[in-house]
Amino acid sequence: MDSGYYAACTALVARTQALDTIANNLANASTVGYRAQHNQFSSVLAQASGAPDSDLNQAINNYGILSGTTLDETQGALQKTGNDLDLAVQGSGFFVVQTAGGPMYTRDGSFQVSAKGQLVTAAGDPVMGDKGVISMPPGSVSISADGTISTNGAVAGKLKLVSFPAGTPLTSAGETYYSAPPKTETAATDSTVKQGMLESSNVNPVTSMVELITAQRSAEMMQRELSMYTSEMDKTATQDLPKVS
Amino acid sequence: MFHALYTAASGMTAQQINLDNIANNLANASTSGFQSRRVQFSDLLYQSEVMPGAAATQQTTVSSGLQVGLGTRPGNTEIIQTQGDLSSTGNPLDFAIEGTGFFQILLPNNQIGYTRAGSFQPNQQGTLVTANGDELQPAITIPPNATNITVGSDGTVSATLPGQINAAQVGTIQLATFANPGGLNSIGNNIYLPTTASGDAVVGTPGGADGLGTIQQGMLEQANVNIVDEFVNMILAQRSYESNSRVVKAADEMLQGLNQVAQ
Repeated sequence: MDSGYYAACTALVARTQALDTIANNLANASTVGYRAQHNQFSSVLAQASGAPDSDLNQAINNYGILSGTTLDETQGALQKTGNDLDLAVQGSGFFVVQTAGGPMYTRDGSFQVSAKGQLVTAAGDPVMGDKGVISMPPGSVSISADGTISTNGAVAGKLKLVSFPAGTPLTSAGETYYSAPPKTETAATDSTVKQGMLESSNVNPVTSMVELITAQRSAEMMQRELSMYTSEMDKTATQDLPKVS
Repeated sequence: MFHALYTAASGMTAQQINLDNIANNLANASTSGFQSRRVQFSDLLYQSEVMPGAAATQQTTVSSGLQVGLGTRPGNTEIIQTQGDLSSTGNPLDFAIEGTGFFQILLPNNQIGYTRAGSFQPNQQGTLVTANGDELQPAITIPPNATNITVGSDGTVSATLPGQINAAQVGTIQLATFANPGGLNSIGNNIYLPTTASGDAVVGTPGGADGLGTIQQGMLEQANVNIVDEFVNMILAQRSYESNSRVVKAADEMLQGLNQVAQ
């Protein structure tokens, strides 16, 4: 059958998947430390094996699919909260969190002290320091730009900040946690910690709205194309052509 | 397909809860001893259609996977622990805590509750009670006709008894603190109850080195609600709700268009 029909179908599926990502970005526009995801479209040749008969054949068999989502690494805006245990990272660094599923990385620095006196994330997982889990004696907390934590003037630990080489695939794990392939983390040298602040989600509402409109209109075009095949060309083929005789 | 509808709905629900919380903070902007809360959101699970770092061929890996997130959820409402402004009331039985401690009060069910609202009055027996009639713990009884009630910054309560020249000590106010005050349970009337998240109360004398803070007589702590911040958050919540509802509309129109193709 007409390969253009399937090209339009594939593209329509890709646009609905793109809408899912855009919806997730907008839903997480208030999630502290959230990293926006961007859609990447790519084309696949329907007949990957063997050279196409002609350039024309290649053009009509080139299907557009959603091949991947990339994380936006830009810095989110820092918002002041005044809570001593709210921390924001300026730079590319991540906090390291010990979870049941191994180390996770997060930019969400809304930490608390657990009933056991450990520094934990909002989800209750311990935050890692240079020497493991950080125990916080009671008292007023001050945290310096390099992540050194002092309570009542005595050093309680130093936050571990790591960054990843460009192109390292980070996996979103929910709870604004990210996981990385083993042995890719390096000490973050370009990052500073800001106490009493949180990093807002780096979702850009303007870009997201433009992406939303583009996905919607582009889906409409595919729908129009599908109806060309189903209602106009096929109708002509099945109803009008037999009457020619 | 079309998670977008549910994802956007999760965003709208989250913003609704955010707005509820902002409304509560603003409604309590004049409640003395009130500590505002902030909703924290987290992202939900992801559908990983292609895992990042998966093998593309035997030699290469894909640099970024295809992960579709399923929305957001309100994770928790954290109590903001900043100190509220102290306002002078001139009433000798108004106490403000400058520090992180809480007053202990005896609730009608014999449980100990914790509060930062330090507006006390004597009941018929002269015992200091809150506006709801709950006794301050340890109980402090002001003898009848006592004058010049003075509370030191370390919680020592003294009063001049009739016929005496020197003030006599009638009790000591003690304060409690928690490992994680952000995890306390609010039960209304400015009262908090401890939870496993907050840890057990650590009781001590005010003014010490353990960070409980000092007691200021004749002062009340105002709510630590920052009106400007709350208004900014309210605008953000409203706009974010709108953009999520726009996604619902877009998904709806795409589905509608799809149904028309099939006709």
